[in-house]
Parts: sequence; structure tokens; C-alpha cells
Amino acid sequence: MCLALPSLVTEILPADQAKVSLGGVIKTISLALVADVEPGDYVIVHVGYALTKVDPVEAEKTLALFAEMAETAS
Amino acid sequence: MFPEARLDVTLRVEAGRVAGVNIHSNRLVQASKLFAGRRPDEVTHLLPTLFALCGTAQVLAGLAAMERASGISTSSSQTPARQMLLLAETVTEHGLGLARDWPPLVGAEPDLAAARRLKLAMAAVRPALYPAGDWTRPGGGEVRPSLDALGKAVNEARAAVADILSADAEAVLADPDSFHLWHRSGNRPAARLIDEIMAPDLATFGRGPFLPMPEQGPAGLDARLDGDRDGAYLARPDSHGRVFETGPLARMSWHPAVTAQMGAFGAGLLARMVARLAELASSLQEMDQLVHALSDAPAPAACLVDGAGLGLVEAARGLLAHRVELESGRVKRYQILAPTEWNFHPEGPLARGLMGAPAGPELERRATLLALALDPCVACRVTVENADA
Repeated sequence: MCLALPSLVTEILPADQAKVSLGGVIKTISLALVADVEPGDYVIVHVGYALTKVDPVEAEKTLALFAEMAETAS
Repeated sequence: MFPEARLDVTLRVEAGRVAGVNIHSNRLVQASKLFAGRRPDEVTHLLPTLFALCGTAQVLAGLAAMERASGISTSSSQTPARQMLLLAETVTEHGLGLARDWPPLVGAEPDLAAARRLKLAMAAVRPALYPAGDWTRPGGGEVRPSLDALGKAVNEARAAVADILSADAEAVLADPDSFHLWHRSGNRPAARLIDEIMAPDLATFGRGPFLPMPEQGPAGLDARLDGDRDGAYLARPDSHGRVFETGPLARMSWHPAVTAQMGAFGAGLLARMVARLAELASSLQEMDQLVHALSDAPAPAACLVDGAGLGLVEAARGLLAHRVELESGRVKRYQILAPTEWNFHPEGPLARGLMGAPAGPELERRATLLALALDPCVACRVTVENADA
């Protein structure tokens, strides 16, 4: 089971690539499998590919849930 | 925040053979603990947003567990609609494997255009079945199938798969000659990879004792999960000491193309790759047939009552089990057992297939291929430690 952490798209790069931020960590990922992504959108990333676009409200909720989980786990 | 989940497979080589297989996972198998105290409908709403690859299967397993716990039997219209949702995810996952993950293994670029085409086609299935978006509702949502949109989605997916393979998936697997002609043609990376793996030492690689997951799941699973207070079973499941293989090979061993490869080369690398291909083809076929079994159904008034229930779903990667305990309208306990925990168990099919494998410059690549054939839901890295060196 692979947990889906929503990442914030910060910059669209050439060749279907984008910069995303997840908890302050910046990564370059591929947007080749999703449509209509813009800076400010949240995406679910798996092994370097954005798989789905997530509604920002849902993304915030999920991130809050993960934060809660991180606290419980630590 | 969490580091990206990963599997690390370390092979210890002694006297020219793999003498030890260590599989380390940093996956959070107990994440579902967070569901305790929440409303059941809140949990099924959360599930698809929490899991990147198998969101649909997660919801369907959750619904099955909750409905079982409450003694709700869903209407006959829900069954084909839910099966259709599940197949759309299986087709997407297998297709992405073939289009995106297989080409780099033969030095080719991923076929992202076809992967995206397939993914978008299958994403149209959910709204075409449950236009109100209430498919995660315990008891079942309002099924109002658009047969036209579903037919188009399946046709589009079939065309995308034909593009990935350079031939119709069913036609490729129709008989041994067609299969042979297809992989010999080397027209697409998927064909080239299969052609390479047809070499006997690769085809048989990873052949260990084959213990397929029983169709209804392991006997006594509910009790094992119930008794798992510390989460040890969720991390390392077994059934009377046996660790089953789950996923395409366990499910598709009836398919003539799979039977043929298993007969010739055993349950190794080739059989597992062909099983995935066969499941992709048969899932598309099943979707075609299911379109005719769909009918309108209102969302029933379902009332969840206290109880415990186990829900099982055959997800793309294998058996997914959810167990829930409901009390006073809330989730008291929630457990998820995912297929990767069986296939990548320290004594599971990957480990069994790698033990005793001959060492050599090709070992790391072969082990990586085997891991990919067993299709973990997180990234997997193989390292070889040579005690002989």
C-alpha cells in the first residue's frame, strides 16, 4: 500500500516536467501522465510521475492527516 | 514528513549462489490506525485520496468490510458496477507497467503518450457509472451507467494497449504461434523484453515453490487479523506458516498462454510477465462483457450497525484485505493488509525465487526484473553483496 502524499506544483518546466514541493523538499517530476496542471495545483507523485491532480481542499486535508500520523508514529 | 516508501532487497552471494535474501520495507503498514474514531463514510471518502495506485481497490475493500460488518447485502446492480471500477484500475496499472516501466529495461524510452491515453480512458469509467460521485458510499451509490461513455472508454483503452503492444492484446495471446510472432517481431519494447526473457535461463529465473493465494483468501484470515494487536501480521502475513504469492500469476494460471509458459519454464520470470499481459487482455474483455450487465439502481438507504467484517478485493497487484470493527456508528478498529506484504515478505515468492540463484554479472538485473514482475506498489532497489569477492 503506497501512501499518496500530495505535492504542490511550484513551477512548470519544459518537456512536460515540473518542480514540486513536498514538505519543503523540492523535486523535478514528469507531468506526462496528467492533463492541465498549473503552478499552485496539488498532484500525487509516484516514482517520479504525477499520477493525479488533487483538489486543493482535499490535499490540505490529506496533508493534515499525514502530519497527524507522523506525530503518532514518532 | 515521511521519506518515500521503498523496498530494499539485498542479496548475499556465497560460493557462487545467492545464500541470503534480505528484504527491508519502510512502508507504513499501520497507517489505517488513523481511521479509528471516524465515521465509516468519512473513511471510504478518505481512502482513495490516501493511496496513490490502488485507490479504487482500497475503497471497494473498505466498503465490503463495512457492509459485511453490518450485514448489508448490496443490490445486484452494485456488483457489476463495482467490478467495472476495479477492472478499470487493473487495466490502468498493468498498462502503465507495460508502457512506462518495461521500456527502460530494454534501453527504450517509456511510451508516455500511450500510458496517458490509457489512463485518461479509464478515468472516464467512474463518472460514467456513478455520475453523482457517490461510489464510496457504504451500501452503494446511485448507479446510472452511461453505456455509450463506457463503451467508448473500453474501446479507447483497448486501442491504447494495442498501441503499447503494436498488436491487439487478445490476438497476441490467442495461440503459441501468434505469441511467438509478436515477441520475435520486437516491434515495441514490451515485445523486446518478453523476447529477451524467452531465453531459458531468464525464463526460469525466480522459479521457486509456487504457492498461489487461494481464491477466497487465506483460511482463517479474519481471526489472524483480529488477533494482530501489535501489527506484526500486517507487516509479515502467513497462513499456517506458508507465504502465498498473490497477483496476476496466482489468478491467471488457468489462461492457456500462462499455462504454456508455466509448463515449459515453471513459475518464474516469464510466466509472471505473461500473466500480467494475459490479465490485461482478459480484464478488457471482461469490461466489454460487464457493460451489458449494468443497470440503473438508486442509492439504497443503508444503515451501518455494530459489528466486525472482513472485505477482500483482488486488486491489480493481488489480494487486498480490509478488516473493520464498527461501534456506535464509528470505526473502532481498521486494518489493511496489502498484496506487497505477501509478495515481498522475507519468506515470500521474491525471496524464494532468489534463494540459490546463480551469482554473476547479470544477477542484479535479473533480480530487478523479478521484483518488477511481482510488481511492488513502491520503488524497489536491489543490491548484491558478494562474500566471495
